[in-house]
Amino acid sequence: MPKVVIDGREMDVAPGTTILQAALARGNEIPHYCYHPGLSIAGNCRMCLVEVEKQPKLVIGCYTPVAEGMVVHTASAKVQTARAAMMEFFLINHPLDCPICDQAGECRLQEYAVEYGDGKSRYTEPKLALAKAVDIGPHVLLDQERCIQCSRCIRFCDEVTRTGELGFFQRGERTQIGIFPGKRLDNAYSGNVVDICPVGALTLKEFRFKTRVWYLKNTPTICAGCARGCNVVVGVGQQQTMMTTRGQQDDRVKRIVPRVNEEVNGHWICDEGRMSYRREQEAVRLTDARVGGDGVPYDDAVAAAATRLHAAASQGRLGAIVSPRLTCEDLFAWKAVLASLGGASFAVREIVRGEDDALLIRADKGANSRGAEWVLGAAGREAEIAGKVSTVLVAGDTLDPADTATLARAGVEVIFVGPFVSGAAENAAVAIPSASWSEADGTYVNFQGRVQRVRRCHLPLGEARPGWRVAADLAQAAGVRAPSWTSAEEVLADLAAAVPAFAGLDPESVGLLGVGR
Amino acid sequence: MERILTRNVDREGAGTLAVYESSGGYQALRRAVTTMTPGAVVEEVKKSGLRGRGGAGFPCGLKWSFMPKEVDPKRPHYFLINADESEPGTFKDRLLMERDPHLVLEGSLIGAYAIRAKAVYIYIRGEFVFATGVLERAVAEAYAKGYAGANILGSGWSCDLIVHRGAGAYICGEETALMSSLEGNRGYPRLKPPFPAASGVWGCPTTINNVETVANVPFIIERGADWYLTLGKPPKNTGPKLYCLSGHVKRPGVYEAPLGLPMSELIYELGGGMLHADRPLKAVIPGGSSVPVLRADECEVDLDFDALAAKGTMLGSAGIMVMDSSTCMVAAMARIAHFYHHESCGQCTPCREGCGWLESVLNRIENGAGRQADLDLLISVSNNIIGNTICALGDAAAMPAISFVTKFRDEFQHHVEHKSCYEGTMALQGVR
Amino acid sequence: MTAELEARVDAIVARYPQPKAALLPVLWEAQRARGFVDLEAEEWIARRLGVSASHVHGCVTFYTMYKQKPSGRHHVQVCTTLSCMLRGSDELLAHLERKLGIREGETTPDGKFSLVRVECLGSCGTAPMFQLNDDYHENLTLEKVDRLLESLP
Repeated sequence: MPKVVIDGREMDVAPGTTILQAALARGNEIPHYCYHPGLSIAGNCRMCLVEVEKQPKLVIGCYTPVAEGMVVHTASAKVQTARAAMMEFFLINHPLDCPICDQAGECRLQEYAVEYGDGKSRYTEPKLALAKAVDIGPHVLLDQERCIQCSRCIRFCDEVTRTGELGFFQRGERTQIGIFPGKRLDNAYSGNVVDICPVGALTLKEFRFKTRVWYLKNTPTICAGCARGCNVVVGVGQQQTMMTTRGQQDDRVKRIVPRVNEEVNGHWICDEGRMSYRREQEAVRLTDARVGGDGVPYDDAVAAAATRLHAAASQGRLGAIVSPRLTCEDLFAWKAVLASLGGASFAVREIVRGEDDALLIRADKGANSRGAEWVLGAAGREAEIAGKVSTVLVAGDTLDPADTATLARAGVEVIFVGPFVSGAAENAAVAIPSASWSEADGTYVNFQGRVQRVRRCHLPLGEARPGWRVAADLAQAAGVRAPSWTSAEEVLADLAAAVPAFAGLDPESVGLLGVGR
Repeated sequence: MERILTRNVDREGAGTLAVYESSGGYQALRRAVTTMTPGAVVEEVKKSGLRGRGGAGFPCGLKWSFMPKEVDPKRPHYFLINADESEPGTFKDRLLMERDPHLVLEGSLIGAYAIRAKAVYIYIRGEFVFATGVLERAVAEAYAKGYAGANILGSGWSCDLIVHRGAGAYICGEETALMSSLEGNRGYPRLKPPFPAASGVWGCPTTINNVETVANVPFIIERGADWYLTLGKPPKNTGPKLYCLSGHVKRPGVYEAPLGLPMSELIYELGGGMLHADRPLKAVIPGGSSVPVLRADECEVDLDFDALAAKGTMLGSAGIMVMDSSTCMVAAMARIAHFYHHESCGQCTPCREGCGWLESVLNRIENGAGRQADLDLLISVSNNIIGNTICALGDAAAMPAISFVTKFRDEFQHHVEHKSCYEGTMALQGVR
Repeated sequence: MTAELEARVDAIVARYPQPKAALLPVLWEAQRARGFVDLEAEEWIARRLGVSASHVHGCVTFYTMYKQKPSGRHHVQVCTTLSCMLRGSDELLAHLERKLGIREGETTPDGKFSLVRVECLGSCGTAPMFQLNDDYHENLTLEKVDRLLESLP
């Protein structure tokens, strides 16, 4: 293990570690643009220049492996001069777009200019004028003037998606990012280039001008798009203006970005997952409870539902079709409560589309299919249930609406507990709103058997409550033994005691990166 | 003085195999591949003191010795000939390729043998259409005679010879950019290490040499390193050299002389002296535009690697550009800056942004819109480029800028204050 | 893409251990056939060599000698780097602009001449000079230039 001294402190590092990696691992920032841990090394931005004793020139930290006895200074006078020089070079052709640029607040040019720049520019020549706000794909806009030619986006398309849409065109000062005329940046992961662009050259259409990033309340959670459960950060808008009213609904998801988890999704998420919040926002929410189609107070609907579920269960004619997007807590709650009511035949909806791809996407769109397997054990299929029951509980989102018309025609009574108005809610005898994916804490188990934490990112809309809460309320209303849960954590505690696969788990032990089981 | 490198260029039928062989051509190749080991060839070239003629002056034999001594079948060796000659002021490789292509091929093949190469790629700049044709015909002749291809001269060693045309990019004369370009990419220089001998084109051990460098090799093998060491200024500046003289002289052109030719001899004797009797020497750039300029009073110097380095400049590609008293030094430097701005590949920040900045400021000064702060600004921007780039093009833009502004500061100052050239100098030079 | 051109491309690809290395020579073939390289040719070449179309376009726009649209029948490329500048390249260029009636970077309306300024052509000893299509014309004077222009079809 080579011993290296960085800024006067000695450290042991694994052979092959670069100066930059060693410094970052120790929390010692060396500014950089083009280096990205998920991509090959380019070494072109020159921002990470550091001083190594006995070397005639400054060296780039991102590419230089540490050697035994190396002595590195990351903030010497020479390094500071070089950093200020690089910042000046970066800014001479860069447009003063900050007031209209989405990147503001998470822009490395801004941060490093403040931290390492001279504070004023000596450049008085005309700036290069290039194309701005170019629509290059379904999700991505390109501003060629803002680009600092770090090549991260090109490397992403070459190395990760292997689709090669982006390239450098022209030469020298006129070098610009571009896409072949007529082609589109439309691979399934195109949005990642926006995340990795250190400046505002690549921005997301769906986020454009929506909010400033410093107004976002960020919550680490898990994407509900498929069985991989990519780790994400959900940003909820929190516009702090005097004019915010309830009707404006500012407390809404504005964007989803990936979180690093080397075991699950590396540094990336797919576009469908990134946009999944929009599908939810575009769907019509069930915000109040209904009986027979008419709005009623929550408690009335719960009472009506409890009666019907109890009656059907005691005759052995109760079915339950649950969504594979329900959290383990919700699924466990339904299992426990319906058992208390007299039992039910469970089916887990199968949401499969397309095929697994070579990167992240799973054909199984049930984010918690595995969790459903572990919590419920073997469950039947939807079709088998229809003929055997008089009443069915449909629980969870049905963005792809269940064909409950079939159930209705067969005379089966539907009790719906879910976030969206859809075919199921419309045909239901009783419809009770429950929290959507971004509105409640819980756990998912991904296809790898990894238990991960889903977090509440904002308050539920209207009368919606977490599914496990509704289940507990139903048990209470039915007069059977009702669980006394007051939080998802308490549900998980009971689940961990009841199902061996979850033994010993609590929110803290699952943590930010999940636990493989 | 015996003409060595240029012995064939003025002969009738120069360029044909028959003429080349008639003066002993390809005897060195035969000697090397049939009586010497590759290692022995390397040693002889090392001993000769031959230094690279492309610009850097790196010892040739030493560079060859970096190659693996055995060939891993999964990683064949490649020999690349840098015929991308694009350094302003330089036109010697073109002369050799157009008028004595077989000398270049023989030297390339001997070098390929020494490093156990499977193929030689001659990367020739796209503009040299005529030279490309001459080389390709010579390559065909070499194959037909068994000097290239399979089992060369019965030695058991096989090597291909391929001419590969560039398409207009000075940066492809930088050896790692040349490799990037040869592989079918934009001509971007690469980070080092790895060095080419460890991992070059297609991840394989590679050596790159300039055209003139390899042209020396047949003579070294034929007549021996000891003979070579008698030419020039041994031990570190040996051999014959092609000097490219251009600018305000009566007889610009390529002149061969042993390394260490005095600058005054080149200009006043070989070159016929200044173009106009009433316009004395003002400045000389000795090694292609990438090296610092010398004032007339600094021109008592021998043209070899070490003597010029001692004067704070370089022999480089031996492109000696002569400027007389009519030259506006601001205009000259602005023109040089334009070259680097045009040719920067754009990969790394200081060169991509800095070269354009230098040209803009110099143009402003030349056009009468210069400001006092501009002079120190030029030096500051240049210093911010030097040493911080991926390759030497940034330094090549910056070092001349510093030398011009420093050595001709009064002239730059005059432009700032008076918004015009010195009397008697002109930015627009006449054709005749 | 004719069969003959495709056969030439195959021969070129065979000279390299990886097909991508044939890119520059193949681009030359495409330009030779049509006088310039259009997007359709770029896409064909990309497929043939197994690279992305953006990669090919990146090379076409990096190297100055590939043309994306046709130039004049007589493409005049005037060297203006230092040694040629010292020997009058700027006066030569201005003269050509006047004679041809176009500015540097333009093509005459009848498509006969195009005029560009280029960097050092490696002919400093015979300055000033220009490259006309493939050929170097060296040691130029204004009179030589006039005679040459008149002689061109």
